[in-house]
Amino acid sequence: MNKQERRQLIEQEIVKCSRCGNCRSICPVFLAENNENTTPRSKARLLEAVLENDIELTAGVQQRFEKCLFCKACLTHCGSGVATDKVILAARTAAAERNGISPMKKLAFTGLRYRKLFDLCLRAGALFQHVIFKKLPDGRGRAPRILLPGAGLNQRRIMPDMTVSPLRTRLPEFIPAKKADSQGTVLFFTGCMLNYFYPQTGDAVVNILTANGWNVVIPAEQCCCGTPAFTSGDEATGRVLAEQNVQAIGSKKYDHIVTACASCGAALKEEYAHILGDSPLLAASQNVAGKVLDITQFVLQHCDLTKLGKVPLKVTYHDPCHLVRGMQVSAEPRQILQSIPGLEYVEMKDASRCCGAGGSFSAVYYELSRHINDKKLDNAANTGTDYCITGCSSCRMHITDGLTQRHSPMKVLHTAEIISMAYEAGGKEGETC
Amino acid sequence: MLKPEVLNKLRAVVGNSHVLSEPEDMIVYSNDATILSAKPEAVVQPANRDEVAAVVKLAARYNIPVTCRGAATCLSGGTIPLKGGIVLELTRLNQILKIDKVNKIAVVQPGVITFDLITAAGNAGLLYPPDPSSMKESTLGGNVAECAGGPKGVKYGITRDFVLGMEAVLSDGSIIQTGNAVDGDMCGPDWTMLLTGSEGTMAVITSITLRLVPLPAVKKTMMAVYDRLEDAAKTVSVTMAAGIIPTTLELMDNLSIVSVEKYLKIGLPVKAGGLLLIEVDGVLSTVEENARRVSEICKQCGATEVKIAQTPQEAEDLWRARRSINPAFGQVAPCKFAEDATVPRSLVPVLVEKIMSIQEKYDVPIFNMGHAGDGNMHPTIMFDKRNKEQMARAEQALDEVHIVTLELGGTLSGEHGIGCAKAPYLRAETGATGYKIGREIKQAVDPLGILNPGKMFFYEGKLH
Repeated sequence: MNKQERRQLIEQEIVKCSRCGNCRSICPVFLAENNENTTPRSKARLLEAVLENDIELTAGVQQRFEKCLFCKACLTHCGSGVATDKVILAARTAAAERNGISPMKKLAFTGLRYRKLFDLCLRAGALFQHVIFKKLPDGRGRAPRILLPGAGLNQRRIMPDMTVSPLRTRLPEFIPAKKADSQGTVLFFTGCMLNYFYPQTGDAVVNILTANGWNVVIPAEQCCCGTPAFTSGDEATGRVLAEQNVQAIGSKKYDHIVTACASCGAALKEEYAHILGDSPLLAASQNVAGKVLDITQFVLQHCDLTKLGKVPLKVTYHDPCHLVRGMQVSAEPRQILQSIPGLEYVEMKDASRCCGAGGSFSAVYYELSRHINDKKLDNAANTGTDYCITGCSSCRMHITDGLTQRHSPMKVLHTAEIISMAYEAGGKEGETC
Repeated sequence: MLKPEVLNKLRAVVGNSHVLSEPEDMIVYSNDATILSAKPEAVVQPANRDEVAAVVKLAARYNIPVTCRGAATCLSGGTIPLKGGIVLELTRLNQILKIDKVNKIAVVQPGVITFDLITAAGNAGLLYPPDPSSMKESTLGGNVAECAGGPKGVKYGITRDFVLGMEAVLSDGSIIQTGNAVDGDMCGPDWTMLLTGSEGTMAVITSITLRLVPLPAVKKTMMAVYDRLEDAAKTVSVTMAAGIIPTTLELMDNLSIVSVEKYLKIGLPVKAGGLLLIEVDGVLSTVEENARRVSEICKQCGATEVKIAQTPQEAEDLWRARRSINPAFGQVAPCKFAEDATVPRSLVPVLVEKIMSIQEKYDVPIFNMGHAGDGNMHPTIMFDKRNKEQMARAEQALDEVHIVTLELGGTLSGEHGIGCAKAPYLRAETGATGYKIGREIKQAVDPLGILNPGKMFFYEGKLH
């Protein structure tokens, strides 16, 4: 998107904002901070002032635009239909062009552009993580030994264990279905979190797919989906990554694309068209977008629910923002959980309210994101369940951190993992019959 | 900008992080929910009464204007700092201090969100009836200062009818207690009523004692659908004349119905000329009898369908429809004048017809809807401010709405307040003598003239 187009988009959206203040009742950042500066209506007002040359796109304006989780709650709540997410994205991009972005982010995003180097760095990181992080005895992850505020590492913060053998390194590019008569091929877009931090979720996805008769293809050339870069205003890096992924996906044969990361899914499905506006790869990206399904959507549409076996757990579910509002997926995970025999499901209050993770948001505003997370943890605890299920690794990481800080015995699992457990249990039941 | 000396003193009172003075903050705090705008010189966020008093004292000493603000959902420019100075944001005073079940009283700080009190009262088996459409974000301090209404106004009355007393800081920083937690308080003139609806021009409210009522045992929600909007309006006066007082009688015209349906997609009758959303509450026998009689009246007046919600979810859907009109305006045009022209309820049909003709005359879309049961209509004029010619027509239409309302013996504000948006017409409503007395009362209470200057009786533009 060029400067002209960006300006037009902002103008056309912010004129719709009536400043009614409706967004005050829904914005998690506002609710935590009680400061008008954090409301979406104020962001619209600031941009109006920028357009009217009342103020320049200062670092102060830029900083106010940083305080947004991209949870999209205001977007679905705003009757005037102000596309707040697009406005904030455009504003962040414009501000980044004028003022730059933080050196830490710049370094990280530049690294992202070079897939193999990035991979090498993270694998090296896994080998040396014990230098910076100490392992927690309960196996929930690692806590930093030293304070690294620039990297968003608060001394208290619990990070997941990085795997020394990432998912994509371990698994072949093509994994055949477990049944003889295959139903077709699913392309699995793993994303970084599953690849480097939660490979067990990736294994679960592969298990679900292959157990239901689908071949799985995991393109080796795929890279970061780009969400961290373009939501931070680094549109150029976002674009490089989007193009790389569209090419990697396009070189494979598949019937569906499955994601198990809400942000990756939303990026492939919604954001690429926006980022690749005038790219020759736009048409290819639209082809990709049309085939993307979250793993829970895929299970409901293309898998056999009657083969789910007993999982005797008491669980609740947290809606990741990019699933419930980014991909409009909320009924699917609930429906699947409720069809697992032996599983007791309890809905939590405000299940779709953001957990406060927001990618790099929780790195920059750690205390604030913990505060937002506290509400989520209270609501989860009030269900009296043992597990919090969610479909996003970033939410998982943040909620796990909060639970550990609180010494809560509750555990977090990705939806795909519990579904995979149910299929495994179903398989065993089948054997005994 | 305020002098650094003053800013430092303010910081000493409320803490560094609660005095905002960057240029970006001044832009953010220059607005409420109108299209008007004026920048303050500092935003101060006190945490309690004593901090409020200390800030006001400082302002008095340096002769700095003070404009109070809660959630700034105000629709009359009430929280816009017309003369600069300090915006006093009261949202940190957000404690419900007491809910007294026996005496049916709540004591709250001004920054409590209206919906939070309604919820807390509900948990105690009580009801706080005033329910402005902004209740999920607006604050009680703002509700009292602007005298907010809401759909339940027909049966229960508006905010004014629930304020028993308050604690407030006067413009010299002294503290006044008005009223009493006793329902039958008759000790001299009603000072509490003087401050209610005074829009922050007389004092800064720091605590409010509110009356609560028993939670009704049952309620029934229904929707009457009409081909003609006029017939829906007529139903309102016929119902009231028949001696039935529903809890709510909300009128929506076709434009409102279509816009809300586009937004919510809950199956509203998009072909209808108008509809009434009616609720009756009380004990079971009365509710059933009233619901039956109301639905008969609706049919007599020309309703093509009367639908009674069978489940709480159906009732909630209907209410969501009403509450969503405000946000749904954006479906029609980006900007609006949201008015609250209020007339005696018997004249609602006349007002509705006049608004229909104003819409035609100036060729601007007007949402013709509102709390018809207590005559508090919300004609909302839509336009795009980037289109100067269209905006001029919208302003002319707005003028005429005010004039027509006053000609019908109505009032400029049913609940949004006068602020600066409607101040040009205030003298036309009060008369010259009333206007003069209004100024004199304000001068007596706030001799320095630092509280919300330039509003109501002290508007400096042209008067009608």
